[in-house]
Amino acid sequence: MAAGDLVLTGLMAVLLVGIAALLTRIENWRSYTPLAGGGTATGETVVHREKPAGIVRWLTTVDHKDIGLLYGVYAVIAFAVGGIMAMLIRLQLVTPGGALLGANAYNSILTSHGITMLFLFGTPIIAAFANYFIPLLIGADDMAFPRINAIAFWLLPPAALLIWAGFFLAPVTENMIEPAQTAWTMYTPLSVEQTNPGVDLMLLGLHLSGVAATMGAINFIATVFTERAEEVTWANLDIFSWTILTQSALILFAFPLLGSAIVMLLLDRNLATTFFAVEGGGPLLWQHLFWFFGHPEVYILVLPPMGLVSLILPKFAGRKLFGFKFVVYSTLAIGVLSFGVWAHHMFSTGMDPRLRASFMAVSLAIAIPSAVKTFNWITTMWNGRLRLTSPMLFCIGFISNFIIGGVTGVFLAAIPVDLVLHDTYYVVGHFHYIVMGAIGFAAFAGIYYWFPVFTGRMYQRTLGKAHFWLSMIGTNVTFFAMLALGYLGMPRRYATYQFDGAIAPLAQVQTYHLLATVGAVLLFVGQLIFVWNVVQSWLEGPKVEDGDPWDLERDGMLDREFQWFDRKLETAVTDGGEDEEQSALTGARSDD
Amino acid sequence: MEEQPGLSDQYRMSSPWPVFVALGLALSEIGVFIGLFPVAVFGLILFGGSVAGILTESGYATRPWPTLVGIGVLLAVLAALVAVLQLPTSAFTLANVGEGPLFTRLVAVVVAGAVMVAMGGAGSVAEQTKV
Repeated sequence: MAAGDLVLTGLMAVLLVGIAALLTRIENWRSYTPLAGGGTATGETVVHREKPAGIVRWLTTVDHKDIGLLYGVYAVIAFAVGGIMAMLIRLQLVTPGGALLGANAYNSILTSHGITMLFLFGTPIIAAFANYFIPLLIGADDMAFPRINAIAFWLLPPAALLIWAGFFLAPVTENMIEPAQTAWTMYTPLSVEQTNPGVDLMLLGLHLSGVAATMGAINFIATVFTERAEEVTWANLDIFSWTILTQSALILFAFPLLGSAIVMLLLDRNLATTFFAVEGGGPLLWQHLFWFFGHPEVYILVLPPMGLVSLILPKFAGRKLFGFKFVVYSTLAIGVLSFGVWAHHMFSTGMDPRLRASFMAVSLAIAIPSAVKTFNWITTMWNGRLRLTSPMLFCIGFISNFIIGGVTGVFLAAIPVDLVLHDTYYVVGHFHYIVMGAIGFAAFAGIYYWFPVFTGRMYQRTLGKAHFWLSMIGTNVTFFAMLALGYLGMPRRYATYQFDGAIAPLAQVQTYHLLATVGAVLLFVGQLIFVWNVVQSWLEGPKVEDGDPWDLERDGMLDREFQWFDRKLETAVTDGGEDEEQSALTGARSDD
Repeated sequence: MEEQPGLSDQYRMSSPWPVFVALGLALSEIGVFIGLFPVAVFGLILFGGSVAGILTESGYATRPWPTLVGIGVLLAVLAALVAVLQLPTSAFTLANVGEGPLFTRLVAVVVAGAVMVAMGGAGSVAEQTKV
């Protein structure tokens, strides 16, 4: 133990001295005027007059566009990790006895899949769009607090490493530290009683990701309130900014609560406090605290994608968003109502039936603003001049999947139905229609729609459509099969399902599991195509030479971000065709 | 402008500090919660130092040293307060460092705070005596 401490102390000392030396060196870099060719007396190359070159640029950037790209790359990597975990889960369940994994490995992967997709993919991919495009859409130079923006991003890589720590550490510590097996909800007493230190690491990672989300939210609120250009008023603020503003408000109320609850859980685990012990607050307290965060979290994840669809759909329907004001009002209404529904996750816990009824009422009420949005999207398309580009297809897919995910949610909000379907695959099917079928689809729509802006190139359209159709069919096969599994009584989270035939009809259950896995394979192939398309097009795709690649001018729908893109293309040409973004503009400023 | 401006003055869209603020916070959390004394101390020092650095760089403070001292004092006082309120006086022994789970963690925070105060003080003195 003492030797271990000594090694750790030495390691930390070396790290600190190294960091101090590095900082001194960086902060003492000699000032120089970049030479015409980009070379300098010190041998460093300068690609951008306001940023250093190479990897240091990405480690030190506080530019909202760079940070947006960092968020995007991070989110796509997390999506790949979470997706591979999902494939392992689906392959495991092809046979009732489990095809691949032991129960512990299955539980670990199930836990990490959920947390990875929600906290390491969902929130960051939204932050990617928001960072890159909110300042452009509202005419701001940058975020209100660029450095806090960078800190918020850099908290995420350690968060991911901590959340996945058990997978890396189990082999080297002879399973002393294993991945957490608590499921993403971390219900007590299970999460207190699992002595595995991997759970502590996962909780710390989640805490860091919560801190990051909160810092980001404060930044977005400050940016939208204070950094708007003069001509951008509350009346003409775009719909995506509205949803990000609402989302940030939800984060501000929800995430600090999750952080506090996690600290309480850590204290219960490590310092023998009794927040969630029977003799203290009781195990149910965790569920209340967790879902007071957890349900707003659903809207934190879905409101900005709804904003993306509301922004992109009209562009390819040739009509302005129908009922813009009511789409904004419904966003705000969902934001407020989202804090009054948390106990619908707890209908079967034996809570007071009168409380249950009130939570059912508020949960059902959320269907109203959701339907307002849905009907407005449909009416926007009605009689429109539809152009079925990849972003548009993903928007329409979003609406279709959102309707199924939403209607199944209305059923689940009803107490009698919930008591039957609680903890079955019906719930899993319901929320995956939203998280994959809606949130995932909107993210794809955003990536394709803005691909020309952040890469300067165009993606391959055929591959984009193949991605859509494989995703759409895959999503519906996989998650509709899960709805059916729920009706058959298949409980969620099980590593195997060798039931007594009296509990559930095993043959049908296996068939639907098989179908779900076939759908997952389709989804997986679709995402491979997506990654290939993005990477190859980014490197080799045809350069976009027109600042209006979607022909939006025709309908008077060219938003600010494309106007900015157009200016960037023009300045690049007058600057002698130099590829580096903004060089003429920023060069003029830095030469002041 | 100084004679030899650093990265922060040279590149308006770059800052070396955010990565280290994040790393410092992550190491502090791991150290304090998992109970790894050296990680807690160094994590907190890195965090405090980076916060002082980033505040100076972005113009909220003219010099980093007072901030460093301030953060150090704040941490040490908070940890001492928790110790006094939560632990019996019999727990305050040198032998208990490394034994009592809460006491060890709090000592780590106090040590980190003290080091920051010392670093801030030393930096301030060195700066003033520099020709």
